[in-house]
Amino acid sequence: MVCMHTKIPLDEDQMPKSWYNILPDLPSPLDPPLHPGTGKPLVPDDLTPIFPMELILQEMSSKRTIDIPPEVQEVLRLWRPSPLYRAHRLEKHLKTPAHIYYKYEGVSPPGSHKPNTAVPQAYYNMKAGIERIATETGAGQWGSALAFATQIFGLECTIYMVRSSYAQKPYRKSMMQVWGAECIPSPSTRTKSGSAVLQKDPETTGSLGIAISEAVEDAATHGNTNYSLGSVLNHVCLHQTVIGLECREQLASVDEYPDVVIGCVGGGSNFAGISFPFAGEKLKGTHKETEIIAVEPASCPTLTKGLFAYDYGDVAGLTPLLKMFTLGHDFVPPSIHAGGLRYHGDNPTISRLVYDGVMKAVAYHQSEVFDAAQTFARTEGIIVAPETSHAVRAAIDEALKCRKSGEKKTILFNCSGHGNFDMSAYDAFYAKQLVDYEYPEQLIRESLSRLPKIPGA
Amino acid sequence: MCTLGFLVNPVAGMGGAVGLKGTDGMVEAALSRGAVPRSPGRAKETISLLRSIDIHFLTCSGAMGEEILSEEGISGYEVVYRPESEQTGAPDTMAACRAFLERNADLILFCGGDGTARDIYSVVGDSLPMLGIPAGVKMYSAVFAITPGAAAGIVREGCIKGGRFLFRDAEVMDVDEEAYREGSLRTRLFGIAKSPYRPGLVQGTKQVFEDPDEERAKKDIARFIKEVMEGTPDILYILGPGSTTAAIADEIGIRKTLLGFDAVKGGTLVATDLNEEGLLSLLGGGTRARLVISIIGAQGSILGRGTQQVSPAVLQNIGRENIIVVATPHKLAVTPLVFLDSGDREFDEGFGDHISVVSGYRVAQRKRIGKAPGEGEFP
Repeated sequence: MVCMHTKIPLDEDQMPKSWYNILPDLPSPLDPPLHPGTGKPLVPDDLTPIFPMELILQEMSSKRTIDIPPEVQEVLRLWRPSPLYRAHRLEKHLKTPAHIYYKYEGVSPPGSHKPNTAVPQAYYNMKAGIERIATETGAGQWGSALAFATQIFGLECTIYMVRSSYAQKPYRKSMMQVWGAECIPSPSTRTKSGSAVLQKDPETTGSLGIAISEAVEDAATHGNTNYSLGSVLNHVCLHQTVIGLECREQLASVDEYPDVVIGCVGGGSNFAGISFPFAGEKLKGTHKETEIIAVEPASCPTLTKGLFAYDYGDVAGLTPLLKMFTLGHDFVPPSIHAGGLRYHGDNPTISRLVYDGVMKAVAYHQSEVFDAAQTFARTEGIIVAPETSHAVRAAIDEALKCRKSGEKKTILFNCSGHGNFDMSAYDAFYAKQLVDYEYPEQLIRESLSRLPKIPGA
Repeated sequence: MCTLGFLVNPVAGMGGAVGLKGTDGMVEAALSRGAVPRSPGRAKETISLLRSIDIHFLTCSGAMGEEILSEEGISGYEVVYRPESEQTGAPDTMAACRAFLERNADLILFCGGDGTARDIYSVVGDSLPMLGIPAGVKMYSAVFAITPGAAAGIVREGCIKGGRFLFRDAEVMDVDEEAYREGSLRTRLFGIAKSPYRPGLVQGTKQVFEDPDEERAKKDIARFIKEVMEGTPDILYILGPGSTTAAIADEIGIRKTLLGFDAVKGGTLVATDLNEEGLLSLLGGGTRARLVISIIGAQGSILGRGTQQVSPAVLQNIGRENIIVVATPHKLAVTPLVFLDSGDREFDEGFGDHISVVSGYRVAQRKRIGKAPGEGEFP
């Protein structure tokens, strides 16, 4: 059956009832996260000062599926299942024989995929008797999602927002306020780690790594407060798998299976969300040929130019050490508009799958991705977030390859969020003021001696 | 209230229209060829846009400033220099600048070309900022606003903020006019002035991309290059002219010549102010070397303008892959294209369409390489 529909919906009762955990399907276990103080593998108790036990168990779980609590499902139903679109107009514009599908996560109240994990994280913290959650946010998407989720479950929320984004995206901050959260530009003087960065560099633009240090410190030093992370960790990626699980059903309903799966990558959660269910099938051998592409900014090319090594998740070295692709925990990426992709590391499972060749990674400059976002907006109508524009660029490039080769591939990408609060980025694009930042790899390698030395790792 | 030193070089630009490629020492020839003064009109255009701003002008009598202010209805001015002859020249420009210095002007707003900029710089150096209303035949220096209107915009913005201008380093270029008239472009970096700058942002959008502080941006670059040098102690580094490379020298703790090529190895200064011969002798015997060079002048030149010491032979020895280009984000923001004109076309073309320019700590920007400009193609 050839799909001529534009929207491929899924009924509410077809929404996934459980998340997919990829860890048991990996050929061998991941290298364990290490305690930042002792260098020894983490045990669940090490994480109790900042996470509720249910999330810790999910982080380390070897179960292939984990049930989604009914209370969480009820909230997710506000926007889920999200629509899958066939991009007929984009295909026609590109004159490609490829079928392009995109999963649109911009329909959630905060406008991105982030509440898929914010809601369960807030729920499990509420169940554990926690009163406040501290977190960080880059572009503001995660912060607004957690603000939305915490107010639903009656928790307070403190958000450390990367300073450059705080100035660039004032309406994200306003959204957090509407949902009752407190938003602070990071680095701040409220924490020791923030004060230390400010002392060294009062004019810093901040980074996700610095903001994470502040939020972790806040949680670790307040008994009623836990920490919540919007990406990178296993349980976050687990919660996002509703995206890929829904896509699989939606595509099956039109007799399609993706040849190519694409998502943008900062810490990796939206990419994991759309790709893990398909990567699991690739690993199991049922769909060996699926190409899975992670797209990152050329200015912060963690997967394409980083080292696969143990590193901290934050600048101050407070988080566990994770074996992942990293540009060095003290790397402060340039202030690109895709603030959510400014992270030095990546989810360890994605890192491992890229390292093993199960997935591949590509990197693009700012002007290239905004050019693609413009094409997308003018054909499909949606003005995507700067982060999402990376996935759009890669999808267009894959479709153009098909035009050359004549292949009728099925391309699926995660349209992870709208860009309605990012219009200053589009203004900059039209004013030709977008800077194409690069990562001077050779020079940085020569200068780099800052990765933590892990005995025996 | 802002105090502005306002000076007009009445003959600037006259030579251009009559094919003299410059007016230095050629005023009579220009007049005899029918040239008409160009700079008064340009200066008026700027001044007419400053009427409503509270500015105290210090100026010179007659065509060097007073006439224009008076014709544009400006009354808040004071004549601080009177040229002896009606036909004014470089000594008058320089004398006026000395008067501006004595009277503590906040900024010199001048109307002229490269020659005027050079004369002003020779008196004030970087102790008094300058901004040029473009009116000359040649404007290779980075002290000029793009248009007379843009000059007014920069002055208005700074004066409205009570004299708080955003400054950047701007190269003053010295072009050999005689050689230029004979068809050969010879430029030399004459000095680095301080010039106000207005980031060209779209009105109404706020974007915190780069540090507003030029000095800090230079330090970030310097910190990174120092770490690279520390990681490669066996490589000889040749630091080109300019204040960005000088910041690198400061970071290492060595004393660099501002306008020359100096060599550093293992954190130690090996040689200073090298000419081509000196560079070639250092590079002999298979020495592994890198050239750290900044973008020179307003037109985005990397090689071939003010860097004659780095000849094609020197570049062949160093190798294309060993050239590290550095520039602050501010400079890059006003430099849409960069140009390479080393004298070896094949070498230049080998860079391809883009070049990576280190613009901060562990950060680079990709800049498009323009076709090397030939004679007369400069603005």
